[in-house]
Amino acid sequence: MGGMQGFGAVVTPGSDAVSHADWELRVFAISTLVGIEGLGKGSGRAIREEMEPAEYLRAGYYERWLWSTERRLLRSGAITENEVDAWVARLADGGPPPRHDDPAAAARVVAATAEVDPLEPAGNPSFAPGAEVRVRRMRPGGHTRCPRYARGATGVVEAVRGLDAFPDIGPYAGPDEPVYAVAFASDDLFGPSSEGRWTVMLDLFESYLEQA
Amino acid sequence: MSHEHHHHHDHDELALRAAALEAVLVEKGLLSTDQIDAIVERYERDLGPQNGARVVARAWVDPAYRDRLRSDGAAAIRELGYGGFEGDTMVVVENTPAVHNVVVCTLCSCYPWPVLGLPPTWYKSPAYRARVVAEPRAVLREFGVVLPPEVEIRVWDSTSEVRYLVLPERPSGTDGMSEEELAGLVTRDSMIGTGLAASPA
Repeated sequence: MGGMQGFGAVVTPGSDAVSHADWELRVFAISTLVGIEGLGKGSGRAIREEMEPAEYLRAGYYERWLWSTERRLLRSGAITENEVDAWVARLADGGPPPRHDDPAAAARVVAATAEVDPLEPAGNPSFAPGAEVRVRRMRPGGHTRCPRYARGATGVVEAVRGLDAFPDIGPYAGPDEPVYAVAFASDDLFGPSSEGRWTVMLDLFESYLEQA
Repeated sequence: MSHEHHHHHDHDELALRAAALEAVLVEKGLLSTDQIDAIVERYERDLGPQNGARVVARAWVDPAYRDRLRSDGAAAIRELGYGGFEGDTMVVVENTPAVHNVVVCTLCSCYPWPVLGLPPTWYKSPAYRARVVAEPRAVLREFGVVLPPEVEIRVWDSTSEVRYLVLPERPSGTDGMSEEELAGLVTRDSMIGTGLAASPA
């Protein structure tokens, strides 16, 4: 949503807090665990963008995570909507939530959050640092990591970040591609501004770029 | 426009739905309750800006460490024991008298969890995501940061799996301070770029 107008102030009462209710971080944890344990289908990031746009903007941040987490679990068949609805009714009636502990499993998932998987070096990148590149005009069918505000703009490659899975073809399922750090002058993105000039750096997959 | 204010009325409903989802997963044996507790605790207690502050303070006192941070941020950060989800590849961008860096994710909320924990609400807000790439000085002013016009602002939009940490400038008047004292001056916002490191009291 880079460049959109009308959202007002960034700094507002309460905006410094990481979360505003206990359920929010429990949803964060469940979402993270769905990934670690391989319980879901699809990427939470991509599914959140399937929300109807007005609903996406209305919803709070962790509301979107709750929505995407439930959908990942429904799509994998791990749970059904009826099961969730039944527990909503039970808990609303004051029924006690189930509790089950498994300390070994808890230790295992905490260790998993510390695992690292850095980008592989890009063996044969098409663009070298210093190359002028243009972001392709495109209208992706769903999730993309190419912001709208940069499409059609020309920038300069500053670094080759490495190889990563191309995220647009079935989220996170595409073949690996080089990722480039590309520098854009602000007036090439947004035109002249009373703020003067600045630089916007974007990490862009090779498929998004063409020789300028 | 503030989502938090408009929608208090359905917070109870969301809390109930979240609890129901947890209940289904626990009842079916797909997750244990203490797995969820442990992840919440890890991200509330272990991972947070106190980690990034140690990285910054080390860079301020150890030029060789600063060089390693510049060439491979994630590897240098791992030397201090931090790494993992949303930090597989981390790039450290250094503020200087000529350049001020600020980090955003216009697509959603990418953020270097191992060194900063989970992002504050404003970082995830449509206002920040929309505005900081298009009017960075106006946004920085809201945070009380006013930079001389000759300073180049570089806005890093985290659009890939690379995560960014800003290395703020070391404040003046800190020559005799220990690494631990210096870490106390490193605010979360100074490592996102919406703030500067604090001056010594």
